Amino acid sequence: QTTGLVGLAVAENPHERLRILYTKILGVLQNIPKDAAYRKYTEQIVNQRFNLVQTETDVQKLEDKLNSGRIEEVIVQAENELSLARKMIQWKPWEPLVEEPPSDQWRWPI
Amino acid sequence: TVRPKNEVEQKQLCAFGEYMAEILPKYIQQVQVTCFNELELLIHPDGIIPVLTFLRDHTNAQFKSLADLTAVDVPSRQYRFEIVYNLLSLRFNSRIRVKTYTDELTPLDSAVSVHKAANWYEREVWDMYGVFFANHPDLRRILTDYGFEGHPFRKDFPLSGYVEV
Repeated sequence: QTTGLVGLAVAENPHERLRILYTKILGVLQNIPKDAAYRKYTEQIVNQRFNLVQTETDVQKLEDKLNSGRIEEVIVQAENELSLARKMIQWKPWEPLVEEPPSDQWRWPI
Repeated sequence: TVRPKNEVEQKQLCAFGEYMAEILPKYIQQVQVTCFNELELLIHPDGIIPVLTFLRDHTNAQFKSLADLTAVDVPSRQYRFEIVYNLLSLRFNSRIRVKTYTDELTPLDSAVSVHKAANWYEREVWDMYGVFFANHPDLRRILTDYGFEGHPFRKDFPLSGYVEV
């Protein structure tokens, strides 16, 4: 059995892997202030996917319910989300605007 | 004939633009949706790498593909160059445009660490406009001749150049 995608090997035990990744993401998100929109929305997405992963044991049906491509792609996406959460803690994008642009900067036509 | 207006897509893009502005208020200065259903994010130059990594990695916005990296020269502004990134999401089949600004002397962060495709595009922007990219692995001329002086796409560069051929 194959994923059908070049370079992505079939993941044995995807539920376990996704469970670990989602718990790690939620742990990393605890370090962000509670009122940040990023934390709110990411927790929503991760909890939604986590519940689906835990309730559905059949891989094919899980792929259909998540509606996000193969399960291996979902795993890759979760890994990306984890690295993004770690970088977000450094960048802190929920603070107010760094610097206002000059007033004619974004005016079009000039 | 007039292009038919796609209200549903416009509403979706507006909603997504508001979502982006809510998550990244530190860097996004403005969000606009053109009448042709194109979403544009106007960014402060410090936020290039955070915004591009967010757009690449976040689950709701998997813009994995950098379609284009260009610059626009508007000499009358204080920050004359406007760098434009066009991103494409294969999962959600949608495009987004990210715009930043800089003047002739301030370097910008290179997008190569986020998208490998930006390598030659940034070399082209350096060669044609003179916008320096910090942390670029190999920033040298790509389209002009070997001893060429000047940056041809700037508005103050004459059409037939300075050197007689």
